[in-house]
Amino acid sequence: MKIIKFAFAVLLCTSIISCSSDDDNNTTDLTGQTGTLALKFDNGVGDQDFIFGVTYNKSNGESYQLETLKYIISNIRVKDAEGNTFTYPLENNAFIIDESNGNNAGEIFVTLDNVDAADYTEITFGIGIDQERFAMGAEGQGDFLVEAEAAGMMWSWATGYKFTRFDGTFSTGELVDEPLNIHMGSVGTSLDNYREVTLSFPNTVRVRETASPEVHIKADFAKVFDGETSVNFADGYGQVHTSSETTPVIANNLPGMFEVHHVHNN
Amino acid sequence: MKKIIVIMFLQVFVLSCSKDQEVGYVPVPLALEAPSNFPELTYNLDNNPLTEAGFELGKSLFYEGKLSVNDAIPCAFCHEQAFAFTHHGHNLSHGVDGAIGLRNSLPIQNLAFLNEFMWDGAATHLDMQPIIPITSHLEMGETIGNVVEKLKSDPNYQQQFERAFEDGAVNAANMLKALSQFMVMMVSSNSKYDKYVRNEDDVTLSAMELDGLQTFENKCASCHATDLFTDQTYRDNGLPINPQLDDKGRFDIFEDPNDLYKFRVPSLRNVEKSYPYMHDGRFQTLEAVLDFYDHGMVENGNVDPILLREDQTYGISLDAYEKESLIAFLKTLTDNEFLTDERFSEY
Ligand code: HEC
Ligand code: HEC
Repeated sequence: MKIIKFAFAVLLCTSIISCSSDDDNNTTDLTGQTGTLALKFDNGVGDQDFIFGVTYNKSNGESYQLETLKYIISNIRVKDAEGNTFTYPLENNAFIIDESNGNNAGEIFVTLDNVDAADYTEITFGIGIDQERFAMGAEGQGDFLVEAEAAGMMWSWATGYKFTRFDGTFSTGELVDEPLNIHMGSVGTSLDNYREVTLSFPNTVRVRETASPEVHIKADFAKVFDGETSVNFADGYGQVHTSSETTPVIANNLPGMFEVHHVHNN
Repeated sequence: MKKIIVIMFLQVFVLSCSKDQEVGYVPVPLALEAPSNFPELTYNLDNNPLTEAGFELGKSLFYEGKLSVNDAIPCAFCHEQAFAFTHHGHNLSHGVDGAIGLRNSLPIQNLAFLNEFMWDGAATHLDMQPIIPITSHLEMGETIGNVVEKLKSDPNYQQQFERAFEDGAVNAANMLKALSQFMVMMVSSNSKYDKYVRNEDDVTLSAMELDGLQTFENKCASCHATDLFTDQTYRDNGLPINPQLDDKGRFDIFEDPNDLYKFRVPSLRNVEKSYPYMHDGRFQTLEAVLDFYDHGMVENGNVDPILLREDQTYGISLDAYEKESLIAFLKTLTDNEFLTDERFSEY
């Protein structure tokens, strides 16, 4: 009886192995095959959906509400189990995540076409525009420049992108409905506020010609002010623009906003 | 009848000829080399190779009113060739609807050798610099997207973009590249001084000019350094603050108190022609500038320490002859070849 069980187990094992080695064969067969990968950005505050005009509280009792919530995502790349990385083509690899472009569920889609078919396990992306791309001048910006301009994500008094555009009002114990504006980016080469975040997928993302997986990324806006560092509006964090003191603090909080909530393999 | 046929024949000939020449990407490379007395090029030409058609397109754009909201203010409005591409006679440049800008226009010259642009370094790449004047409400008041739409609907520009760029697209990237191609070619390096230091054409400086050069090296060259005549740093040279403008200079970029009232050390090439002087154009003559250095400086809170004199006042002491000879020397930096170069002229 025991032997039968054992044999059965061995059989199972081999079949699993052969199954998975089949998969491996599939992976090699995938060369040349591409598919679509959709990223769904979903902004929230803690465990609430983000809604314009709604007042949210910070850990220190200060509160805020927003009319504008936009940020730039770039340099998206995905890595498969074997460690191969697929990087979306540079010229199209910058996106504005604008809450006001969300669907009724407040989700903003970034659709990546012609992604190499593979089984992906993690994603990396940047928040803002990196120095290398900016240093390429017009060549590196392509049409994103006009898109960013139209979205109010460029400065006009200096050259550069606003990586974030959070506008609204804040209140502290003493101040009520003061203007809140977080328009920050890198400034020249000496103040680099570009940051990257790497997130592993809870389950494998299978990109195929016939399968277009969807990755649901949650962005917790609360982390902007209560992230790696908690900041106080009372200390000047209601107006963050180009200061080399405040902007890096916010920049360091941004990667912590993001989490892959779940993946749909369609 | 015969005449008509001949004319028709001629017309066909002319049309087909011009067609051959005008349509399609024809990359005739343009060379840009650093003059031997200059520092290295800083502009990366690999990302934007210079071609004749690219340069010509850039020139058209530089003189194009459509880049502004009322179609009337081209770049050249504030950057006139005869005055080293500055806004002649205006201390503060004015733009659309007569709006008064905040600063004195800077010359367009030798930009291929600079690391940063504008009085405060607000632009860190030449390609991106035009975004500031085009979109500023005090200058051209447009949007890049709108300018591109205007150019797209102009058949002449469609052709020019096709000739200048492989992808032929009328878009923001190509527009900015063309403007840069035009601007990086604008090198002023053939003044009397240049010919003297490069030992060209047996050019010599007069005794007074040489004395001026000597004084300059002793008292000015620590900031107005190299043959670009700027070390490209930001400094406060002790100008009294104009409360009406309250221009904080480089401070606006990083909000760093150490940067208060600092401005980029300007090049002094063609300085004879680029009056008025300083970031707000407060001095009309070089005499006024030197009087300021000698006895007009004030402690505005952040003056460059090298300007502190032994008697604890700020300034650079200059006697009458030093002033006279300095001015004689500064005039040797005038490059008439550049100021009249037809490659850069509107017509
Ligand atoms: C309304 C007047 C005006 C117009 C129009 C204008 N400029 Fe300027 N330009 C200025 C002023 C003023 C400055 C200096 C501004 C500053 O430093 O803040 C300047 C500075 C510059 C500089 C920096 C030079 C240096 O040494 O750093 C460049 C390059 C330039 N302009 C190019 C252009 C181009 C290209 C256009 C057209 C797209 C243009 N300008 C249109 C007034 C103007
Ligand atoms: C401490 C550095 C420093 C020294 C030394 C210095 N300058 Fe300057 N110079 C500057 C700065 C900075 C500016 C621009 C200031 C502004 O506009 O706010 C300037 C502006 C000028 C200008 C105006 C140029 C223009 O296009 O508007 C002239 C002319 C000039 N300097 C000549 C001289 C001469 C001649 C000497 C020597 C007697 C000298 N400078 C010494 C830093 C210096």
